[in-house]
Amino acid sequence: MIEAQGLTKRYGEKTAVNGITFTVQPGKVTGFLGPNGAGKSTTMRMIMGLDRPTAGSVTVNGAPYASFRSPLTEVGALLEAKAVHTGRSARNHLRALAATHGIGDKRVDEVIDMTGLTAVAKRRVGGFSLGMGQRLGIAVALLGDPRTLILDEPVNGLDPEGVLWVRNLVKYLASEGRTVFLSSHLMSEMALTADHLIVIGRGHIIADGPVQEIIDQGTKATVRVRSPHADQLATAIAGPDVTVGTPEPGVLQVSGATAEQIGDAAAAAHLTLHELTPLSGSLEEAYMSLTADEVEYRSDAPGHPDGTPPDAAAFGTATAPSTTEEAAR
Amino acid sequence: MSAVAAPARPSAPATGSPHLSFGHLLRSEWIKFWSVRSSIWTLGVMFVVMIGLVALIAGLTANDLSGTEDSGPVALLPFLPATQLAQLAVVVLGVLTITGEYTTGMIRSSLTAAPRRTPVYWSKMVVLGGSILVISAVAVAISAFISNAFLDPKGFGLDLGDTETVRVLVGNVLYITTIALFAFALGALLKHSAAAMATVLGLLLIIENVLNAIPWEPLHYVAPLLPGSAGSRITQSDAVVQTINDQWDVGPNLSAWQGYGVLVAWVVVIIAIAAFRLKRKDA
Repeated sequence: MIEAQGLTKRYGEKTAVNGITFTVQPGKVTGFLGPNGAGKSTTMRMIMGLDRPTAGSVTVNGAPYASFRSPLTEVGALLEAKAVHTGRSARNHLRALAATHGIGDKRVDEVIDMTGLTAVAKRRVGGFSLGMGQRLGIAVALLGDPRTLILDEPVNGLDPEGVLWVRNLVKYLASEGRTVFLSSHLMSEMALTADHLIVIGRGHIIADGPVQEIIDQGTKATVRVRSPHADQLATAIAGPDVTVGTPEPGVLQVSGATAEQIGDAAAAAHLTLHELTPLSGSLEEAYMSLTADEVEYRSDAPGHPDGTPPDAAAFGTATAPSTTEEAAR
Repeated sequence: MSAVAAPARPSAPATGSPHLSFGHLLRSEWIKFWSVRSSIWTLGVMFVVMIGLVALIAGLTANDLSGTEDSGPVALLPFLPATQLAQLAVVVLGVLTITGEYTTGMIRSSLTAAPRRTPVYWSKMVVLGGSILVISAVAVAISAFISNAFLDPKGFGLDLGDTETVRVLVGNVLYITTIALFAFALGALLKHSAAAMATVLGLLLIIENVLNAIPWEPLHYVAPLLPGSAGSRITQSDAVVQTINDQWDVGPNLSAWQGYGVLVAWVVVIIAIAAFRLKRKDA
């Protein structure tokens, strides 16, 4: 369990993280999303005690990371893959870090095996590819068999087999009741891997919820309708909240009305339907609309008494006008 | 995935209860120290230079004993240039031991494993200082044996019952070890290999000559307190220390041990500043 309370980090004039409060629960994979420079890495560095918060606090399993008697068994972290002395072999790098906790060579060889580094373990890290460096970073994170894992861009540079391996690994670790917190830029990967998402933009949290909820919030569910009477149908279902687009002749893309409502309307007007398909949005669309709103509402966002980040409340209404405008053109 | 899942291992982990301790950190730094090539190279160079130069100078001195009258025990004379040259190797090692972590980013891995931070410096210094102490002691012992072998037949052998002789021999070991820690401290402060190397070598080899060349009296108070000139007194015979002190009318007259104390003070102050910053700042 990771708990951040009003966590803030300023570098001189620039505020990297602005009073964020969140909880990462054990037993599930929590994704951390946000544009470049949104404050993801800074937040993770503060969790690991590498950066000192300007204000607020963050604890892991109830205590600051630095206060643990055995930090590596509490939290395993991959923050930057190349935080490695280039002149040392992968195995010696792992042995040195394991030794700080009296973890033996047996566990070192285990994580080497687990991460598929056996063939290159004796080679100096300086010659490693991005993917190999990434595997070594994951091996370091696993050394202490930790209760909490923090992985910053773990699949960066990995081949498809490695991506799949990381996905299965983090899901497995979460299913054992561990806390898994990972960031990624790959939306499709995040949608497949994470159970819960925290979206951050310009230093504050835009959304925090289960993946499906975030997708539903950030995208408008649409219905694809194919009908020989498309024009009449468009008139029949028109309403204040309904947007109708025409991607191709005879096909309507409807948002603001459910498939049931459209079907009922068609039946009432005696119009033939050839297709009626509800489409749900993708995480990528949700993410784009969420982060776009973040920029749009940043300057005038008032604080919310109930602790909900202001933008999370604002975005629901924010997408509607812009899409209607587009549709009206 | 259950929402109420308990932590994976609530207490008493099975694998021999790993935990952070200073002893474990020493072991970690020991692995780090001996798993990069620079340690083996620089220590090898120090070892060979020390013994080789003492052997060379002792051999030449044995052939021509003129000019050695006022400099204390003759068999100790070869140690002065040998240590001055050998120190360059340990300076490189001392700097790289810490800047190697800063320039590669390894320091952040080290601080993640040991989040209280300053023990990382202390354990590194123990491993660096301990390793160099042992290896330089062996080098000095072998050198003393060789110097004695050349000069004993001429009637100038080492007298290990003489406190001055023992002080100089031990002093060479202490000086080389402490200079390495001095280089480490500056490396920790500057975090950059080239900058730290240039600063250490400047302070040890160049600044003293520059200060002495400037005809402004206050600088002559400062010059004897520089780390190299103060610290190296421990490697010199009483007669040589006296000669150096007589050289200047002003400024502190440091004995061998006082000079060494000044070098230790340099190390303590610089590493204290570096450690304070390590503790306070972002890594």
